Amino acid sequence: MLKKHPIITFIFFGFILFLISNRLDELRVYQGATVAIYAIGIGSLILLIGYSGQVSLGHGALLAIGGYAAALARIYYDAPVWLTFVIAVLAAAIGGALLGLAAARLSGPYLAGTTLALAIGLPSIANQFSILGGEQGITFDIGLPPASLGEDFTQYKWFFWICWLAALIALYWLRNVMNSRYGRSWKAVRSNDVAAELAGIHVGRNKVLAFTISAGLAGLAGALLAMTINLASPGVFPLALSFSLATGAVLSGVTTLGGVMIGSVTLVAIPEIALAIANRYGSETITTNLPGLLVSALLILTVLFVPNGPVEQMHAKRAKRGHASHSPVEISVRVGSKTWSTKK
Amino acid sequence: MNQFLDMVLIGISAASIYSLMAISMVLVWRSTRVVNFAQAGMALLSAYIGYELVARVGNFWIALPLAMILGAAFSAFIEFVLMRTLQKHSTQGAIAAIAPIIATLGLLGLIRATIGFIWGHGDVQLEAPLSKVGFKFGETTIIMNPMSLFVLLFVITLMIIVSIIFQKTNIGLALRASAYAPEIAQLAGIRVSGIRTLGWAIAGAAGAAAGILQTVNGTGSLTPESLEFSLLLVFGFIAAVIGGLESLPGAVLGALILGLVLAAVQIYISGALVFIVAFLLLLLVLILRPQGFLGSKAGRRA
Repeated sequence: MLKKHPIITFIFFGFILFLISNRLDELRVYQGATVAIYAIGIGSLILLIGYSGQVSLGHGALLAIGGYAAALARIYYDAPVWLTFVIAVLAAAIGGALLGLAAARLSGPYLAGTTLALAIGLPSIANQFSILGGEQGITFDIGLPPASLGEDFTQYKWFFWICWLAALIALYWLRNVMNSRYGRSWKAVRSNDVAAELAGIHVGRNKVLAFTISAGLAGLAGALLAMTINLASPGVFPLALSFSLATGAVLSGVTTLGGVMIGSVTLVAIPEIALAIANRYGSETITTNLPGLLVSALLILTVLFVPNGPVEQMHAKRAKRGHASHSPVEISVRVGSKTWSTKK
Repeated sequence: MNQFLDMVLIGISAASIYSLMAISMVLVWRSTRVVNFAQAGMALLSAYIGYELVARVGNFWIALPLAMILGAAFSAFIEFVLMRTLQKHSTQGAIAAIAPIIATLGLLGLIRATIGFIWGHGDVQLEAPLSKVGFKFGETTIIMNPMSLFVLLFVITLMIIVSIIFQKTNIGLALRASAYAPEIAQLAGIRVSGIRTLGWAIAGAAGAAAGILQTVNGTGSLTPESLEFSLLLVFGFIAAVIGGLESLPGAVLGALILGLVLAAVQIYISGALVFIVAFLLLLLVLILRPQGFLGSKAGRRA
């Protein structure tokens, strides 16, 4: 039932979240909203890394495009809230398409370096345009929750609802895209671009498309992030955000969307854990440095020992025990005596 | 005319440090096919170690080579522990191509957090050992000063040493052979894995020198989240890409081009545009000549 109708799973999950949100205090609700934002960002990276084989270390820059675009639309055109998100997605997608045009020609380390450079240089780019407000940034205020929701409906709960609604829709849509013709093409391109090209897949076009979609989702995450902080500024989208998203994607496992919650919850939980440890030993050094240490250590350990993520690991184990595994797409092409195959 | 001279001097002096960074990235790339994004963190760590050594030994001229040796040892250690394990484990699936990149990213975070634990997040000052007052010729003061002259000469000396190692010695031959054709090199009796570690070690020394010289030649202050070092990483990467990521002379050439272009932007247009111009230069090179100016076409494929 759930396998056949994934939309029921999503709606069910949303309903549970709705029940939970009524029982949590403000801080937890805010963290819950952050989890949703990370989930969208990580999902967009999984699409990029796991499905099209491109790596972006500067996704924070694309989030920033979304955040700034939404804020500008709100300030200058007084756009309704839902429209600001649409504008954020479109603006980031256009930015992503431009970047993707350059990226499609690049392989691994070049793309990683270019996107990293973009994320590092973001503040200096933002400072160039006075409309973006320099270091202080610009406010992004979506206003109070509608009065019809009652008196004790807080601002953060409103954010929580918006974020999760957006996340569920985005992830459901992403899941469908990944299972579509495009998803299969991307997987083929990632595994072996020569074989994919021989099978009639336009490699460059597919890479640009993947980058564009990923950027659009990142833009949505950026607009949501700017919304929860009420601000779009270089400080909201630091280099650390890009690194966190990459970390989250690796922790979740880049080959399936199934683990996306693992990464996003971990990213939110680690500072909490570090804070708890720091409170116990009462040291400020620990509070500031432990989160970074934990995240980095976890990242390295994951890459070393569970490189394809926990979900994929489970699938592999089950496949070993003789259960039917989920079948990867395979394309092989023979030309003369030579065979190209997407199967490793 | 005076402005032009300033531009050339600023450009060359910046280029000398970029080229060290670029060389260390090229060496790592050649030996293990990894672009080491942790290089900035390693350079930063070396700068902190240099600061600690200056504080304990009291002499910059002893601290500099010592920090370079420690940087080399640390870099070799990373290759030995992290990269070799990685090669054993992450070889399958979507992650295989990007695992090394992710691992160096994790390393960067680890190094920064460790620095934060040891030295805290406040500013740490590494004082320049030489005067930073420009030389005088008659009435005019030029922008070159004893410190930046030393940096320039030191980097040139390092370059000469590295190129002698690479061109004239057996170790250099082994380094080139294992980068060019690892399997054939192995058949010829070269211990490729050991040579890889050596490549990382030389890169670590160059990176350490870059970190320390950048600090003393610049503001002298160090913080774990130093933007200066992130920019150093980016500029080193851009210089390496301009040169083709494969070639050591290419890295130096790339650094010179980048240094001069950025100096021209800084002097004739505006200092605020430096990063944007550097980024556009990177995109331009990648779109027009992705194999770089001195690299081979085959080198582009990871």
